[in-house]
Amino acid sequence: MTWRPYCSIWLVVVLAGALGAGLASAQSPEGTLTVAVATFGNERWLPHLYPGAEDVVLKPMLENLLNRDPKTGALSPMLAERWEVLEGGRAWRFYLRKGVQFHDGHGEMTAEDVKFTLATIAKEGSANSLGPEFRLIKSMDIEDPYTITIHFEKPFVAFGNKVTQGLFASVAFIHSKKYIETVGEEAAERHPVATGPWKFVEHVRGDRIVYEAVENHWRAAPHFKRLVFLKVPEPATRMAMLRAGSVDVIEIGGEYVEELKKVGVRTLLMPNVSWVYVILGGQWPGKPTYDPNVPWALPDAERARKVRLALNLAVDKQAIVQQVLGGLGSVVGAWLTYPTDPWATEALLQPYPYDPAKAKALLAEAGYPKGFEITMNLTAWPGRGYLPDVGEAVATYWEKVGIKVKRRPVDRAVFSADFRARSYAGVTLAYAAPVVGPELWEPLIRAGHTKASVHLFAEHPQLDAFIDRLAIEPDQAERVRIMRDEMVPWLHAYVPGVAIGAAHAIMGVGPRVGEWPLIPGHMGFHNWEYVTHRR
Amino acid sequence: MIMYLIGRVLQTLLSMLVVISIVFVLTRLSGNPVHLLLDVNATQRDFDLLTRHLGLDKPLPVQYGIYVKNIVQGDFGKSVLSRRPVTEHILERLPATVELGVVAMLLSVLIGVPIGVYSAVRRGGVLDSAARVFAVLGQSLPPFWLGLMLILVFGVILGVLPAGGRGGLQHLLLPAFTLGYFTSAAIMRLTRSSMLEVLGTDYIKFARLKGLHEQIVLWKHGLKNALLPVITFAVLLFVQFLGGAVVTETVFAWPGLGRLILESITTRDYPIVQAGVLVLSALYLIGNLLVDMLYSWLNPKIRYRSTAG
Repeated sequence: MTWRPYCSIWLVVVLAGALGAGLASAQSPEGTLTVAVATFGNERWLPHLYPGAEDVVLKPMLENLLNRDPKTGALSPMLAERWEVLEGGRAWRFYLRKGVQFHDGHGEMTAEDVKFTLATIAKEGSANSLGPEFRLIKSMDIEDPYTITIHFEKPFVAFGNKVTQGLFASVAFIHSKKYIETVGEEAAERHPVATGPWKFVEHVRGDRIVYEAVENHWRAAPHFKRLVFLKVPEPATRMAMLRAGSVDVIEIGGEYVEELKKVGVRTLLMPNVSWVYVILGGQWPGKPTYDPNVPWALPDAERARKVRLALNLAVDKQAIVQQVLGGLGSVVGAWLTYPTDPWATEALLQPYPYDPAKAKALLAEAGYPKGFEITMNLTAWPGRGYLPDVGEAVATYWEKVGIKVKRRPVDRAVFSADFRARSYAGVTLAYAAPVVGPELWEPLIRAGHTKASVHLFAEHPQLDAFIDRLAIEPDQAERVRIMRDEMVPWLHAYVPGVAIGAAHAIMGVGPRVGEWPLIPGHMGFHNWEYVTHRR
Repeated sequence: MIMYLIGRVLQTLLSMLVVISIVFVLTRLSGNPVHLLLDVNATQRDFDLLTRHLGLDKPLPVQYGIYVKNIVQGDFGKSVLSRRPVTEHILERLPATVELGVVAMLLSVLIGVPIGVYSAVRRGGVLDSAARVFAVLGQSLPPFWLGLMLILVFGVILGVLPAGGRGGLQHLLLPAFTLGYFTSAAIMRLTRSSMLEVLGTDYIKFARLKGLHEQIVLWKHGLKNALLPVITFAVLLFVQFLGGAVVTETVFAWPGLGRLILESITTRDYPIVQAGVLVLSALYLIGNLLVDMLYSWLNPKIRYRSTAG
């Protein structure tokens, strides 16, 4: 019979065609991934114009020099394929990846673009949150188009964490010098270009941002063809849109987790992304606004410490984590430390206990048997809408031990003004510090160092000393030892504020969303290019 | 009439000047927007530089003078946040607001007028009672709650309409109904009372005596006269929709002018707040002026009385 060879050939052809079509569809991005978020930040696109909260909507399009390994959290290559830390941290040399193109044919990324971007971030008047730190750059040498060395006066051991994609508000994204200088800032803002796996399509201010996949991207071709961000301020509307299928991903607070479970919405967890505590304002004895009558900032250090400890013992932090944060967190006593940190020991992680009787006794010992008056500011921060509720809960616990608490709902702009002027002596505020650096002293450079411009925490020469040592210690093992054996125990004993603990974040996802690898500790959405279709 | 118009125009301009002055002072009392433009850890020098760059370091009377001078020249300035012309932001959002306002007003009229007419004709009946319940609910249900309930029912449970955002006609229905329900109740009550008044007049009785069909008596003779106050009310409503839809726009994520102004207030974007309020005030005042002119044109008695002095 002669039909068999023809059948075989035909079968092979059909199978080959099906395989080819399957491969082609697996490789080509398809569909639209729609995301509803509460805010787009300041909606600026140039490096000296965005402070950092825009991170969520900028990350699809823009890239940093480095990334973070999703499993280990260690620095990993991105636009720089390798790097060296020289002179004990006084110099960082980056070897750039060759052939990385800016969108729409605007040329290859080179060391000139890196130098331009970092200098722009550092210039005076820059709104970028990294500005003050990038002003520590002494000089930048371009050895060849793909090699740049950045020099500092003093060792900057954590500089790699400032140029990594893998942290919240890590906004040292590399821009095209040639493009911005050619078209001008205004035009570059209207149509930004970058090197990321998504390119800019449209920005309707206050409404939507649309990106399109870069199909042959050097790092990762997205699985979706379009990525659309919608600004939807109302959380109930975001949840409804997710349930109705109008959006695929929503930003949502932990206070809604039970409601989401009840309606069967899938959630993804981002664990340990911020550290919640109550700031006890006024702990700056060297500043003009210092008020020596503030009970927790008294010149008598031991009395003041008793008051701060009493304010901790009066609060049932476990209840706050369960009821206010929806169980998305863990109570921790070690300041700005997460359970997975290498300097976290079992002993250090133990929280201050909930002991209202002891709290009252300590207040009496400190000279306040009938309590005193406190003002609690209730302020929400982007991505941390639960903070006024945390503040309210803490205030309620304080009232049970005889402290009179005046609540003061304050929006962020007003608080920022007070904060800059340090006019909040005697005022408390619930705050959640996002992970802006993997080691606890990194956020404290700006938030707890006397020489820093503004403070959220407390000023103390011992804190300054720890930060100064850690900032120049190039050996990571030694830094871990200093944190574990010296700094964290000191903070625990000093009791700078009311420690609540580590908070997680969640997002709601729809049925179209498949796998989504997230970097541990990164608050906010990221890694959009790796989101797969759910089959 | 000409003198009357000139007088009204001058009054309108004076009112707008008062409005922009009040808004100017109130926005500046709310604080310096630079606190929100910069990261909280920015240096004092960064803060001072940006304040100077935005012209916010000048004395308030100087800022006010510059502002009024620019307004007169048609320049609303640049957004503190985006540094783009304010006009651009307003023109970007105005179509969405007008779209929502027009559809909301149409729904208000299409729902309110027929129900008002039948309620008047069937006074005391079941339909009248139902209409009055409809009116009470419309004027007491908070738009925020109503909007969320509509989203839940039609967007989530039934899945027949989008839950939010701007798009085609189907995106308009829920927010327009939310916005329009309150006013349809008011229109219904106004139509009902106006209709009752008209139906008691001699010319309606005469029309019936002539043997005209009841539908012609109602819709051609009765409603035509009963609609005068309703039309003027509807014009005012439309102008109110343009600026007063901020709750509806927020619930439905509708990118309108109300939401732009609200967001600009929270970010202390003074130029947009000032321009937005100015535009809405102007629309409201001009709308009032047009309503007065329209009413006197539609109602010959008023023209006759004005002419007769």
